[in-house]
Amino acid sequence: MTKTVTANGFALDTSGQRVVVDPICRIEGHLRIEVNVDEDNVIRNAVSTGNMWRGLEVILEGRDPRDAWAFVERICGVCTGVHALASVRSVEDALGIQIPTNANHIRNLMMLNQYVHDHLVHFYHLHALDWVDVVSALSANPRQTSALAQSISNWPKSSPGYFRDVQNKLKRFVESGQLGPFANAYWGSPAYKLPPEANLMAVTHYLEALDFQKEICKVHTIFGGRNPHPNWLVGGMPCSINVNDTGAVGAVNMAWLNLVSDIIDRSIEFIDQVYIPDLKAIASFYKEWGYGGGLSGKNVLSYGEFPMAANDWSNDNLMMPSGAILDGNLSQIYEVDTRDPDQVQEFVAHSWYSYDDESRGLHPWDGVTDPNFKLGPNAKGTKTNIEALDEDAKYSWLKAPRWKGNAMEVGPLARYIIGYAMGRDDIKGPTDDLLGALGLPVSALFSTLGRTAARGLEASWAAHKQREVFDAMMANIKAGDTATANMDLWEPASWSAQAKGVGMAEAPRGALGHWIKIKDTKIENYQAIVPSTWNASPRDPAGNIGAYEAALLGTPMADPTQPLEILRTIHSFDPCLACASH
Amino acid sequence: MTNKAAVEGHSLANIQPTYVFEAPVRIWHWLHALSIFVLCVTGYFIAYPLPSVGGEASNHFLMGTFRWLHFVAAYVFTIGFLVRIYWAFVGNRYARELFVLPIHKAEWWKDLIHEVKYYGFMTRKSHKILGHNPLAQSAMFFFNVILTLFLIVTGFALYAEGLGQGSWADKMFGWAIPLLGGSLNTKMWHLTAMWLMLVFVVIHIYMAIRADIMSRESSISTIIGGWRMYKDDLP
Amino acid sequence: MAHRETFYEVMRQHGITRRSFLKFCSLTAAGLGMGPEFAMKIAHALETKPRTPVIWLHGLECTCCTESFIRSGHPLASDVILSMISLDYDDTLMAAAGHQAEELLEQTIEKYDGNYILAVEGNPPLNEDGMYCIQGGQPFVEKLRHMADHCKAIIAWGSCASWGCVQAARPNPTRATPVHKVIRNKPIVKVPGCPPIAEVMTGVITYMIAFDALPELDRQGRPKMFYSQRLHDKCYRRPHFDAGQFVERFDDEGARKGYCLYKVGCKGPTTYNACSTLEWNDGLSWPVKSGHGCLGCAEDDFWDKGSFYSAVTNMKVMGSAEADADKVGKVLAGAAAIGVAAHAAASVVSHMSDKSRKEVRHD
Ligand code: HEM
Ligand code: HEM
Ligand code: NFV
Ligand code: SF4
Ligand code: SF4
Ligand code: F3S
Ligand SMILES: [Mg+2]
Repeated sequence: MTKTVTANGFALDTSGQRVVVDPICRIEGHLRIEVNVDEDNVIRNAVSTGNMWRGLEVILEGRDPRDAWAFVERICGVCTGVHALASVRSVEDALGIQIPTNANHIRNLMMLNQYVHDHLVHFYHLHALDWVDVVSALSANPRQTSALAQSISNWPKSSPGYFRDVQNKLKRFVESGQLGPFANAYWGSPAYKLPPEANLMAVTHYLEALDFQKEICKVHTIFGGRNPHPNWLVGGMPCSINVNDTGAVGAVNMAWLNLVSDIIDRSIEFIDQVYIPDLKAIASFYKEWGYGGGLSGKNVLSYGEFPMAANDWSNDNLMMPSGAILDGNLSQIYEVDTRDPDQVQEFVAHSWYSYDDESRGLHPWDGVTDPNFKLGPNAKGTKTNIEALDEDAKYSWLKAPRWKGNAMEVGPLARYIIGYAMGRDDIKGPTDDLLGALGLPVSALFSTLGRTAARGLEASWAAHKQREVFDAMMANIKAGDTATANMDLWEPASWSAQAKGVGMAEAPRGALGHWIKIKDTKIENYQAIVPSTWNASPRDPAGNIGAYEAALLGTPMADPTQPLEILRTIHSFDPCLACASH
Repeated sequence: MTNKAAVEGHSLANIQPTYVFEAPVRIWHWLHALSIFVLCVTGYFIAYPLPSVGGEASNHFLMGTFRWLHFVAAYVFTIGFLVRIYWAFVGNRYARELFVLPIHKAEWWKDLIHEVKYYGFMTRKSHKILGHNPLAQSAMFFFNVILTLFLIVTGFALYAEGLGQGSWADKMFGWAIPLLGGSLNTKMWHLTAMWLMLVFVVIHIYMAIRADIMSRESSISTIIGGWRMYKDDLP
Repeated sequence: MAHRETFYEVMRQHGITRRSFLKFCSLTAAGLGMGPEFAMKIAHALETKPRTPVIWLHGLECTCCTESFIRSGHPLASDVILSMISLDYDDTLMAAAGHQAEELLEQTIEKYDGNYILAVEGNPPLNEDGMYCIQGGQPFVEKLRHMADHCKAIIAWGSCASWGCVQAARPNPTRATPVHKVIRNKPIVKVPGCPPIAEVMTGVITYMIAFDALPELDRQGRPKMFYSQRLHDKCYRRPHFDAGQFVERFDDEGARKGYCLYKVGCKGPTTYNACSTLEWNDGLSWPVKSGHGCLGCAEDDFWDKGSFYSAVTNMKVMGSAEADADKVGKVLAGAAAIGVAAHAAASVVSHMSDKSRKEVRHD
């Protein structure tokens, strides 16, 4: 039987040629994609495989809950800090710790800052080369490039001489014969649509963004001591604020606050004057490329993020809303309860793990992580040389998370769809503006480009929100509150013998949850369900396919030996496989 | 090296006072004890610092002083031990007992068992022994030779970290750090060795006083004056 | 094959004058802690050599070593990648994917056998025949071995490649194994840290290229230029340590005054890294400066050495059984004291009964 329709309504056909792409590069971690294409080279079946597992959940068992953030932070260095945040929140939730206002502001600032950084690096360094032809940039006219750049933005670095310098640099680089990271790619493919001038502009900004990103993350360095992997603390933040007393120079003081403020201004500038104009310019050439919507038009999920007042998780208090949408019905937004044993569950029927009963899902408080690597009967190759996987059996190191049994898409697009559906001005306004500028209907959002666009809009949203949070924090400090940590329940002796909690966060890639059970002051069970686990998920026992698999279906490939279209759609999710499998 | 008199001496009555601990041994003993006392106190406060002192940092040097004292005592401890080793070669036969366990001799084992029984209240009479009894001797060997060496090696390895790579201490002792699994582990082993040393000290002092009161030969006065005296003339 | 230009040529072509090129060299030399005579050596090396190919592999890891690398302020990562080295393979950044990507590995071996640097981020798991980290359908460890066979030298980026790091923490379910325990026939430069400091990473690699030599390594295989001192030796809070002024809990009076973090678990006294001198993110700050103690992230096995919040910690004794050795010692010392007291009491009792027996005999 080669043709099926999945429980979530996607038609699959495995009869055509199987194309394997492994490794998928320009992502975090190790991902394999297999697809079947029909005689017209249209993708009719897609298989997403997480290629790695480290066992963090197993490693955390028996450890001190206060140390956990540092372990889980190492789940990922790209979305650095987000797991640490979810972790300290889970412990605080379990122990009933309330964090001070400043700690809440600082955490919000760091997470917003993470959005800005992560989205920017994703757009230019992990995604742009799917749309931008580096070699074509060599034939651009710098003067026209300059005119193009100046027509879309008032970013000052846009003179003809500037673009000529970059072009010369690029020429020498290409002529050296040592192409480095640009070697053996798909340059010249008909799938690239930008004129040379737009390519040159984008390549120039690729380099500029690479130099600038290291400035953005300095907000983490100030509050957390370094980036990547800043420091966090159960009960608040480890940095003390001292603006006007002995020793201020060694704490968060006026000079450092000024630097934070300066970085906020500069990142707003860069996002609004470089990222967004580039995004619009590039998108305008790819408007016809409407593939890749997948699950986004059906099921999307957000846990919500950025509580304005500390310790309050009600939706009104969240700058980025929480909610779920099913079957594309934007008029109904479901409430999400991550404690409800029937809402969030993980399945392993198609994952390299075992459960006692694999027909059922487990809520993460009762989650089990027990590795079990085995290939299905129809896999091709050997255990250590896989040629093709058997997706009817186990085929991924990711579990399959489901919300009320449904596969969900998470991430910037999911958040924007939910925010849009709720009519939140700060989300709906810019989205409508962008759609209007491109002359596209709302339905265009449900696509690869929609995903990429939502990320850009969100980067700008986050850059500006940093300013709001910063100002709120300054006002609070001005009112005399400098507390950053609540240490009342720091000592394990003050904890009850058994406790459980959940820490949620909206990471750059989507809904993130850490569930912890504490017994006799040690971790009894620790389970993480990560944005990329949702999106890159394998199938579940009911046959629902995950967001990556769904998004690839129906996409025509210009040349199945050149996986450019697969890369476009998969990259639009900003995959993080170290996160996904952990 | 169990004393022959004790083994063969069942017929010997009325043993004369014997000069057991020569002056260098006695001086070393008390310097050693003193340095250990200082090392334990200062070491403890390095591991578990006192509550913070107020005011400007430049007005205080509390931790610095503890560390300084620790290092001074460490030198006394180490150099004293080296001199003591030297004395084992040139001193009298009792000077060697600390370093050499005559485990090849059957009588030594017999005496060891006897002592264990004696301290376990299974037999009433202790043997007369001029130097150390085998039980004490074993304890002495393990705590004062092996453990002392361990503390010196780990201590100087830690000290070398402060002196820097390529320093004399690093060349001599730096190898211990990777061997013990890194700097933090080395420190924790060093700290653990302190507690073991305290185990010895507690027991040793108890034994010394107890022996002085209850056994048939002199004890504390011997380590002070050097002469072993006997309280009876029974074998 | 096309003419491979030297670093200097590339710089000149970028419109950089010889004067600023030399300034760059002396800054690099200073960054490496070396004098002006080395600046000339760097200049000479960069003027005469084509860009050295670098193959950057990823095993089990979190990619934060790459993230750290691109934070380098001097030199900029963009300059390293475009002008100093030839980054011929790096799955995080390269444009190609799938077999187009994998082909590049064979091409590099063909063209540069024995002449490329292998940079490894993360480490290979050995359990399950290595299939806890799959690349191209095969275990990562095979790819690592293959690329190591033909390289000139290996850089082990970060604590993963150097020591094992978080995935190797107890019970290390995948048997994640550091590079030097898998590859034994090549020189390995360990650049530990979770992640390492950006400028340490670029400093090490520019040193290797500029001098065409391995940096001098310490006993544990780390470059002496960055790893020969403990953070504590150069920590700006050190005067508070020496004075005996400590943060007793987070956000207390001492914390606001910048006291020493030893009592809240700072591992600076036992950690070799450059944080307290170079600092992070363009020399802006470092963990201790921001108020949290050092976790010891550049040290072997730092995950399994007990709490991050206590100066005295557990350690592994006897294989994998973990115990707080310090506590064991304390208990023993306590037991000795109690034992002695009990024995003394027993002695007194026994002595008395001896006496009374004697008295009986006298009668
Ligand atoms: C840190 C504390 C001490 C240490 C490490 C220590 C160590 C030693 C050593 C190594 C010896 C053997 C000497 C040799 O054969 O070279 C010894 C003998 C002796 N020590 Fe100590 N000592 C300590 C404190 C004391 C104290 C406080 C006393 C007295 C109350 C004492 C009483 C004795 C006596 C009586 C002997 C002779 C044992 C015998 O009769 O064989 N010690 N001690
Ligand atoms: C009876 C012998 C000794 C005892 C009981 C002792 C005890 C201690 C203790 C408890 C510590 C604190 C460890 C921690 O931080 O947890 C310490 C630290 C130290 N000890 Fe010793 N020690 C002894 C001998 C030595 C020797 C011979 C040296 C050689 C120089 C030495 C050098 C050090 C050093 C360098 C430190 C680290 C101090 C710092 O950097 O702050 N110790 N010692
Ligand atoms: N997926 C994921 Fe992360 C993010 N964003 C985690 O929570 O990237 Ni590494
Ligand atoms: S060493 Fe640490 S930072 Fe680097 S990849 Fe490993 S876990 Fe990430
Ligand atoms: S803060 Fe840490 S590194 Fe600095 S002096 Fe204190 S213990 Fe040493
Ligand atoms: S945790 Fe790591 S970053 Fe430096 S301060 Fe400690 S070595
Ligand atoms: Mg999980």
